[in-house]
Amino acid sequence: MRDMLQRLQTISEELEDYEPELYGDEYDVDKGTLSQQAVMFENTSPIDDILKEAHSISKEISLLHLEVERLTINNERFGTSVRRLTLLKKDSDSIARGIQQRGGALHIRLQALGQESGQLEEREGPNSAVSRIARAQHDTLSHLFRKAMNDYNEAEEMQRSACRRRIKRQASIIGTEITDEQLDGMVDKGGEGWTELSQSLQGARSSRWAMCEIKGRHKELVELEVRLKEVHDLFLDMAVLVEEQSSKVNNIEANVCGTQEYTEKINVNVKRALQYKRKNPCQQCCPCLPCWNQNRLL
Amino acid sequence: MQESSFKSNFSVIIHAFNSSTEILNGVIKSVKKEGEWKVLIVDHMSMRILSSCCKMSDILAEGVTIVEDINKRREPISSLEAIYLISPVEKSVRALIDDFKDAAFTYKAAHIFFTDTCPDGLFAEIGRSRVAKVVKTLKEINVAFLPYESQVFSLDDPNSLYSFYSSKPNEGKEKMIETLAEQIATLCDTLKEYPAIRYRKYEKENARLADEVYQRLTAHKADNPTMGEGADKARSQLLIVDRGFDPISPILHELTFQAMAYDLLDIKQDIYSYQSTGIGNSNDREVLLDEDDELWVALRHMHIADVTKKVTELLQTFCQSKRMNTDNANIKDLSQMLKKMPQYQKELSMYSTHLHLAGACMKTYKASVDKLCEVEQDLAMGENEEGEPLKDAMKSIVPVLLDNEIKAYDKIRIILLYIFHMKKGIGEENLAKLIQHANIMADSNIINNLQNLGCNIIGRNAGITLPERKQRTESTYQLSRWVPIIKDVMENAIEDKLDRKQWPFISDPAPINTTQTAVSARFGHWHKNKSPTEYRSGPRLIIFVIGGLSHSEMRSAYEVTRATDGKWEVLIGSSHILTPTSFLNDLKSLDQIQNSRMNFNAQNGLKS
Repeated sequence: MRDMLQRLQTISEELEDYEPELYGDEYDVDKGTLSQQAVMFENTSPIDDILKEAHSISKEISLLHLEVERLTINNERFGTSVRRLTLLKKDSDSIARGIQQRGGALHIRLQALGQESGQLEEREGPNSAVSRIARAQHDTLSHLFRKAMNDYNEAEEMQRSACRRRIKRQASIIGTEITDEQLDGMVDKGGEGWTELSQSLQGARSSRWAMCEIKGRHKELVELEVRLKEVHDLFLDMAVLVEEQSSKVNNIEANVCGTQEYTEKINVNVKRALQYKRKNPCQQCCPCLPCWNQNRLL
Repeated sequence: MQESSFKSNFSVIIHAFNSSTEILNGVIKSVKKEGEWKVLIVDHMSMRILSSCCKMSDILAEGVTIVEDINKRREPISSLEAIYLISPVEKSVRALIDDFKDAAFTYKAAHIFFTDTCPDGLFAEIGRSRVAKVVKTLKEINVAFLPYESQVFSLDDPNSLYSFYSSKPNEGKEKMIETLAEQIATLCDTLKEYPAIRYRKYEKENARLADEVYQRLTAHKADNPTMGEGADKARSQLLIVDRGFDPISPILHELTFQAMAYDLLDIKQDIYSYQSTGIGNSNDREVLLDEDDELWVALRHMHIADVTKKVTELLQTFCQSKRMNTDNANIKDLSQMLKKMPQYQKELSMYSTHLHLAGACMKTYKASVDKLCEVEQDLAMGENEEGEPLKDAMKSIVPVLLDNEIKAYDKIRIILLYIFHMKKGIGEENLAKLIQHANIMADSNIINNLQNLGCNIIGRNAGITLPERKQRTESTYQLSRWVPIIKDVMENAIEDKLDRKQWPFISDPAPINTTQTAVSARFGHWHKNKSPTEYRSGPRLIIFVIGGLSHSEMRSAYEVTRATDGKWEVLIGSSHILTPTSFLNDLKSLDQIQNSRMNFNAQNGLKS
């Protein structure tokens, strides 16, 4: 990497010394006011709005990410500490529910951004800067949101596996084996599942503590399954969206090649055409001449 | 981010080229300001480079909100600053200057990054223009090549075969060689390598290019003395070889996944399109086959017979781990699985894609290609699968040539393999007869044009014969006996057994540095989401093929690297990656003048 800024500025300054009249007042990028075309001025505001909303959504996604990390760390503590089990469990549940709420809200905001993007495309044309900016932001933010939610799912999956492992281990400690299918059945039946199990374990060499452990894990598993069911629809929506987009959407070459030459807004050109038409000398002196008739058709 | 169990099945890719770090960190992140967005403006070359190592989401994460093509008329966005990532060529520099020549500037300010050294003339022009007043950054970075894969690079010039080997006069040739040489030198600079340069004798273009590369390389080293630092680096080599050296590999029907897919199916710009029912309404799928797809990386060099088996196996394991019913873990049930577990869409669609891709390959293969493979392998190896030398090659190819179901290009491939099998070429009359039998008059110049590459076609020229092959003892599939010639070369070079008369050095190899240089272990993210890895301190073998690179040769680079247990790293590249069809198309136009050639390419949907 070679920094060439100094060298460029030297050239520029040397030229100024020789031909100062070619350069007006020193233009300071950060302070100078720019003359803007009327057309553009209308567009800067929508761009700012989109960018502001996008920035805000992206911050929300980062917070969501942090919450998912919090959940993972909290879940890991389950394995190490035994004492504050019920509190840890409550924490996990509340963090997870918080994540789902944030996720749901973000999903709605992203859908709104997607709609806004669609409307901009209709109003300003799909090739205008503001539409393309909106679309790119929507695509990227959806992508990031999906990643965050997938991480959340991963955290819940890991916790689910951990719980199941612990239940089986505890059961084997008290002398019973619980198979995967039995475990599935237990979880599906919710509270009843526990009652069934505790009855079946009555005869076995039981330990109060072990039974308590199993009961606690079972409850946790049931709650986890409930949470995952609730968030299922959200994942389904996201999956449909991904299916509709091709994987090209995140590809830079596809994006750049798809852009078209910029044409200024049509009303500006029409105004200009009308001006020229009025000023047309043929029209002013003799409207009957064939050349005027020809021009009229243009 | 947690590694899912899916990812842990596959090993982490180590990227030799740190282009994505270079661009993301060195360019985009370096001018990032919190709360401010920027416009990124690229030209064709820089766009290709950028696209091969970054995604839209990557650059949006670093403050870029829109990417523009410098050569198109653009909407002014004067509230945002612009990053210009461009090649230092006249067209791009003019467009840059034009952005700031009127009273109303197109953007608020300019951060300029050239992909290579900017010539003095153009640099002065910028200095004289109003750009100099609004420029906040101006740097030259070294990214003049495409990191196509972790061990494969491309210089993005599909015209290369024509430029080097056309029989028509070509004024741009000198300039083109200089550009190529500069790109190769830049590549070495990025890799911190100062390799000993060797070239294959017998073809004068090799020496010419090697010489030019040596000069550029030395110039780069003067600016960047860290190139080639390290005890092991003294053993690094750069080999320049011509396409004519192995004309068999680019035309053989290969049966490994990547080579087969690109040969038999219509895959443009690495995108595979297919139809599949899903959960929504859309059935069109377009998937990019690149190294972000871990399953692709794991499967791409596998023999097709193993691919479907492997994918099905992995899918079943995956379903089991997620406790999904796996009675019928096949393509049809994937959409059912997706409905039940939409959070695994990424993984499930990966399995679906590769099952479809493998299926499509097999379908095309069974339709016509299976008749050809045995004949091709026998011709290429000079012996049948039992090891008995081929007695009557003509007898085996005639039925193929007379078969109307077989495509013209497939027949040409067979004829060419027959000619190469005959080692000293064949008589003109014989060739005419073959062409007539095969009914391929329209494309027959392809065969003759191979003489431009130095191959023996019509028996009169005493040109080069193909080199002695290594005896290989590994067991292979019957229809995959052929090993690209370059693989022999790679192994010999690494073992320091590469003949110095056939592969001369440009200059005497650097003396082995016996003093221990402290090479700092740099931990960095080579490729965005992969785990950090140490700076590569072992020696590298870099191979540049003039005229295009085939997939089987790319595969060889990985195979040889693996066989050294990571001690050596083999990188291979060319001006472009070819498929058998594109190679034959390139050959076809070697005897045409440039304009009609561009029309031909346009008509056939190829880049000009």
